[in-house]
Amino acid sequence: MKQLRNIWLLMGKDLKIFTADRAALFFSILFPFLFVTLFNFVMTGVGSEDSRLQLNLATREPPTGISYQIIAALETVDESALKPGEPQIVWLKDYEQAKKDVEDRKLTGFIAFPENFSEAVLMGYGTELEVIYNPSNPQATAALEGMAQGIASGVGTQQVVNNTVIGLLVEKELYQPGTAGDLAQSIRAMLTGQAGNAPESSRISFTTEKVGEVEAINPANFVIPGYLVMFVFMTASFAAQQITKERLNHTLERLLSGSASRSAILGGVYASTAVKGVIQIAIFWGIGILVFKMDLGIAPAAVFIISLLMMLMASAFGVMLSTFVKTERSASSIGVLASLIMAPLGGCWWPLFITPKWMQSIAKITPHAWANTGFNKLLIFGADFNAVIPEMLALIAFAVVFGAIAILKFRTDAD
Amino acid sequence: MAEAFLVAKDLHKSFNDHKAVNGVSFTIGKNEIFGLLGPNGAGKTTTIRMLSTVLEPDVGEVTISGFSTRQQPDKVRSIIGVCPQELALYEELTALDNLTFFGRLVGLNSRETRAQSMANLALMELEQRAKGKVSKFSGGMKRRVNLAIALMGHPKLLFLDEPTVGIDPQSRNKIFETIQGLRTNGMTVLYTTHYMEEADRLCDRVAIMDGGKIVAIDTPRALKAKLGDPDKTTLEDVFLKLTGRSLRD
Ligand SMILES: Nc1ncnc2c1ncn2[C@@H]1O[C@H](COP(=O)(O)OP(=O)(O)OP(=O)(O)O)[C@@H](O)[C@H]1O
Ligand SMILES: [Mg+2]
Repeated sequence: MKQLRNIWLLMGKDLKIFTADRAALFFSILFPFLFVTLFNFVMTGVGSEDSRLQLNLATREPPTGISYQIIAALETVDESALKPGEPQIVWLKDYEQAKKDVEDRKLTGFIAFPENFSEAVLMGYGTELEVIYNPSNPQATAALEGMAQGIASGVGTQQVVNNTVIGLLVEKELYQPGTAGDLAQSIRAMLTGQAGNAPESSRISFTTEKVGEVEAINPANFVIPGYLVMFVFMTASFAAQQITKERLNHTLERLLSGSASRSAILGGVYASTAVKGVIQIAIFWGIGILVFKMDLGIAPAAVFIISLLMMLMASAFGVMLSTFVKTERSASSIGVLASLIMAPLGGCWWPLFITPKWMQSIAKITPHAWANTGFNKLLIFGADFNAVIPEMLALIAFAVVFGAIAILKFRTDAD
Repeated sequence: MAEAFLVAKDLHKSFNDHKAVNGVSFTIGKNEIFGLLGPNGAGKTTTIRMLSTVLEPDVGEVTISGFSTRQQPDKVRSIIGVCPQELALYEELTALDNLTFFGRLVGLNSRETRAQSMANLALMELEQRAKGKVSKFSGGMKRRVNLAIALMGHPKLLFLDEPTVGIDPQSRNKIFETIQGLRTNGMTVLYTTHYMEEADRLCDRVAIMDGGKIVAIDTPRALKAKLGDPDKTTLEDVFLKLTGRSLRD
């Protein structure tokens, strides 16, 4: 009873800190919102060619910069090959001219990479994308900002990967520190080698796939659940920082000499993570239903149950992670890395049923795959409640295993 | 000495193979201010962490007001307050939020929490900054918040692990006055510090620890008297005599 009250208090405290942390709020609530809004905007052009969205990019870097590669990959080369609704991406070669065009209202706006972009990415410090727009077109503005965020966060996660890769290269003596030009080269080679497919796949595009007998589907039916799974899991894995933070803050000691038991402390982190997950679920389904006119199929209850089980499982994962990591830095990078590996593997970025059989088998080791398969069955193939019981059980099993490991580990930790 | 409020018997604690605390026994009387002194690494903090139920001793027993820290940790926790050596605060929250959270955690209802939070902040002369984020506070203010939190729930026994480290004489004096005031109101205090004149001025009795053991325990005056004229010797002389001049850690 008393520990339940403590869990409640700890949860309230965590959520209070969460709402005071603007970056965390942005990443877990506003960013997904922007993401789906951009998606919505892109989709509204479907069917009418003349309403095609044009997104403009520019860079202030010299031609050796990474941003050149990014823009080259994104640029629309053959306009006639664009599918309906896909935005046309235009490379503005002259930054100053582009800026002037926006002032003269010849251009709605554009995104520009800063001069120090490559350096910032390679050295691992932050940089800012410039969004230049004419406020007279609010819709284009929202899309531009959304896209800038998308690129920025892509770079953020790439930095984590880069750092790991640099570590590996140095370890394998493939790279001698100090040669910056070669470094970019080797990293790119390694990244593309690891990713398997060219940077083309990172382009933001949403296409409808026809598979077998399935009717043309509303792409929202797999895009929204996919991103829901990814974002809930990623936010939850940030919970890993929570206990580390309490330990480094020395507040863990204060909690223990107060009246909070170790399990109550874990419970508090779990509860606050779960609440964040519920907020995300509400936002995603709210937008999905209201804006994208998603149809939840014949068993909407099953959709919500899978969402909730997925949230409970993700929170358990975050708490489990928190008992293993010792520093805040490792907590965040392991969390992001795990989420970014499991998201595409588990079918968050493209539907699993279009991937080869062997990939579908490997995917089963991720909880993401079970959640996504459940959603796909319900929203795309029109399955009923009973058809997704295996997916529900799998999610419960993942949650129980993660939770049990967390409790055992936290109990036996001396300090 | 008045009736024993805290009894520590033969405490041992090792980390890996290192004996941090090696057979420590002492008692603290009710309403006493007891000083725990010793060079860096002597084992003071480890001792406090065992007394305050954060660490379980490898060997030994602690009872506080008759409750065993092993068998009845919850009873013990309900009558102690801890001001850790390191600042233990949520920097992202306001001073008031910090006090409120820890107040609720020790079991106060929201009305009591509010009243005590404001009273404790006022005691530390922080009421003007109650709604300020702790991350924006100066070192001395953070120290005072750290102490104010420990007072939530009116503990009967207060553990103060170097509460005056790194702060100016004004803040330090404030903390002194507070501790003396608390004692007048019936609180028992265990106090650690590296400032010998502080211990001399504040403590009824002191224990000097070195290498995980207590090497002397008595009133400051009696300890000084063993060296010479108690009005001319200082506690620092006693400390250096007992613990030597070599550097620790
Ligand atoms: N969690 C821990 N893990 C490993 N060793 C520890 C741990 N806590 C303390 N020690 C070691 O135990 C010994 C006693 O440490 P303790 O913190 O109790 O000393 P102290 O008297 O409080 O010192 P100080 O005056 O510097 O605060 C030190 O050698 C320290 O390195
Ligand atoms: Mg100490």
